[in-house]
Amino acid sequence: MTKRIIRDIPLNRVEGDLEIRVELENNRVVDAWSSGTMYRGFENILVGRGALDGLVITPRVCGICSTTHLMAAAKALDHIAGVDLPDNAVRLRNVTLMAEHCQSDVRQSVLMFLPDFTAAIYAAHPLYAEAVKRYAPLAGERCIDVVRQTKTLLEIVAILGGQWPHSSFMVPGGVSYVPPLAELNQCRHILKQFRSWYEKSVLGCSLERWQAVQSAADLDVWLNESAAQRDSDVGFFLRFAREAGLHALGQGHGHFLSYGSLELPGDSAVVGSGAGKQLVGSGFAAKDGQAQPFDQAQVAEHVAASWYADYEGGKHPFEGETVPHATGADGKKYSWCKAPRYAGLPAETGPLAERIVAGDPLFCDLLRRDGANLVIRQLARLTRPATLLDAMETWLAEMAARPDQSYYEPVASLQDGRGFGLIEAARGALGHWVEIRGGKIARYQIVTPTAWNGSPRDHAGVRGPWEEALIGTPIADIDNPVEAGHVVRSFDPCLVCSVHVVGADRTPLRC
Amino acid sequence: MASLFWLQCGGCGGDTMSFLSAESPDMLELFDTLGIQLLWHPSLSTLSPVAQNELIESLTQGEQALDILVVEGAIIRGPASTGMFDVKNGRPKKDLAAALAAQARIVVAAGTCAAFGGIGADSDIQATGLQFLNKQPGGLLGKDFRSRAGLPVINLAGCPCHAEVMAGALSALVAGQPLELDEFNRPLDWYGMTVHQGCTRNEYHEYRVEEWDFAQRGCLFFHKGCHGPLADGPCNKLLWNNRSSKTRAGVPCFGCTNPEFPTPSPFFETRNIEGVPIELPKGVSRAHYMVYKGMAAAAAPERLKKRETKV
Repeated sequence: MTKRIIRDIPLNRVEGDLEIRVELENNRVVDAWSSGTMYRGFENILVGRGALDGLVITPRVCGICSTTHLMAAAKALDHIAGVDLPDNAVRLRNVTLMAEHCQSDVRQSVLMFLPDFTAAIYAAHPLYAEAVKRYAPLAGERCIDVVRQTKTLLEIVAILGGQWPHSSFMVPGGVSYVPPLAELNQCRHILKQFRSWYEKSVLGCSLERWQAVQSAADLDVWLNESAAQRDSDVGFFLRFAREAGLHALGQGHGHFLSYGSLELPGDSAVVGSGAGKQLVGSGFAAKDGQAQPFDQAQVAEHVAASWYADYEGGKHPFEGETVPHATGADGKKYSWCKAPRYAGLPAETGPLAERIVAGDPLFCDLLRRDGANLVIRQLARLTRPATLLDAMETWLAEMAARPDQSYYEPVASLQDGRGFGLIEAARGALGHWVEIRGGKIARYQIVTPTAWNGSPRDHAGVRGPWEEALIGTPIADIDNPVEAGHVVRSFDPCLVCSVHVVGADRTPLRC
Repeated sequence: MASLFWLQCGGCGGDTMSFLSAESPDMLELFDTLGIQLLWHPSLSTLSPVAQNELIESLTQGEQALDILVVEGAIIRGPASTGMFDVKNGRPKKDLAAALAAQARIVVAAGTCAAFGGIGADSDIQATGLQFLNKQPGGLLGKDFRSRAGLPVINLAGCPCHAEVMAGALSALVAGQPLELDEFNRPLDWYGMTVHQGCTRNEYHEYRVEEWDFAQRGCLFFHKGCHGPLADGPCNKLLWNNRSSKTRAGVPCFGCTNPEFPTPSPFFETRNIEGVPIELPKGVSRAHYMVYKGMAAAAAPERLKKRETKV
């Protein structure tokens, strides 16, 4: 006999508040609704404030990626000012952003994702005791290690920008500080130490060895090559996930979006992917299709299932309207998140999307072999620092070698206009769309990665990416739905970002 | 053992992220050293949803002792005082905060949002702090609230709260040591000094060598909106992430420990009358200050005027 139940699942170990409603049939998810349960209403604070105030207010959107919001805010103002940044300013901004990404990727993986492997449903898993030893909350060896290592890495942001989190050292035209050589060298030491820890503990091999893994077959060879690789976080994760059959979970729509990020300084040894102007390429890849060039005009947000007054279809962030309309839990609307769509399609964003859009051989091969799933999504996150650390070292060395070059191009005052700052946050595509009128903020719109990944249904009733990814997930114990947690956490949800974002004019909230 | 429940309300999680940067002891070592049993933290715990609800029920009913309640993020009361902009299991989170506070031996507000409302205090979400709304006593719990240990809410202001302040306050509170508080219930050990103290730009400030633009070495107080001489906090004593501070890195202090943060006037600008800031360093009279600064500027050595002295 078919047994159907509907259950709300509050999900912890994400940044912020998230509730997932699932409908189960014979203990398998047949439908899902994702609900951001908090609204902070930043727009009333930003609209009417000074033109530069987004640099102070928007980092406070998110405690784990404040430097990322700062970068998007500063780029939007650069755009309005029409200023070209000095190369050293680009390097300094990039290095701080990348340090924050590495912190976020490692913390999310070890403190938030992997502790699920210590859940009781895995008591019979052959690696269970080892998982508990490594990843038990607050006590696991790897958790303790990650707390120590990530805070040290963040010292780089403090040296170059004053503090982490919540500094405001990026300003239109560059950065607020000219770091002396001694401080750049301190940053290089910290980075070197982090790199050697990351290689030894997270990868179990050198960056070069990891970078030589170019296919699914290479990955199998890598996993069996040495005890260090098998026992690293990456090796353990792959072995545990394979035994538990996690490759079968968390598929989603298979559409991938990257805004591109980390602009390359003019005079640099670092080479980008794709068109070459950025270290992380931009693009949109629909399921089974080639990546297309990214066009920000294709971004639109829907509100059919979001607690805002309805409008037809989707609206571009520069045109968005936002009138909160709380209807409670019973109607069609069920989230404070809006539903962003690219060319009308839902899209997942984050480290996996970046690799797919860039045509990364390993991840494209894994996608071909297994389809999208939570294992490759989390693997892309845990190994992203391997794509960043070399460039960080090079840029710090280049700054140290160019002490006389500028870090700031003066911007007399911001003229009226509108601009956007589009970057890749740790969790994926982040955009700030800003309009300045009369020297004040007239409109400020933020569309976060979690708005993309955790979006509710759109105007056509199409599910958001992790709602879709939940379909088919088996749930062994509805009182402790660990499998649903795996699927959603593989997107690295950040609800503090996505439930309290900003609106146009003085109308409330926006996701 | 002291039990601790960490409740996140209308915030960004930044106080947790800051706390994760605590040094000697780090956060985990601190819990271990103090015998703190972390019952729940939203970013770190693995309790199942059912177990979490049972825990909350048992704490709010007083069946299980709650020694320390830490609240991070503002209490969201909107829309129309219903609290429905921030819910847990369909119920306003503000009610949960009040129910837990009623049972806790000690209540700590981590960060300016939980202490004073912070971001969103004057917006349609009707954010408030636990025992203050900006400078006004009251907030969610009322001005007469005392936790079971007889203490008001301990306000560890800052956006975010500095990790060493959190670690130091927990150490004292767990040991039952008295913390002397200021008028906003911030412990004087950390808020009895200004952010200005220890700034590497102090000599530029002293001789009124001022900057109009970024990426320079001079003082940021006169034109760039720095609140350092007005804001109470240990940023330039303890430093951030063991390394630096915003003002050292050329970023003005925004006064984030202030009960009225964020103030409405634009950041990066100093409101002034004829070049003299409207808001002067704490306790200074305008007439004396104008004379003093005029003389100081006249006495400024060339090495400062030429920005030769490094910061």
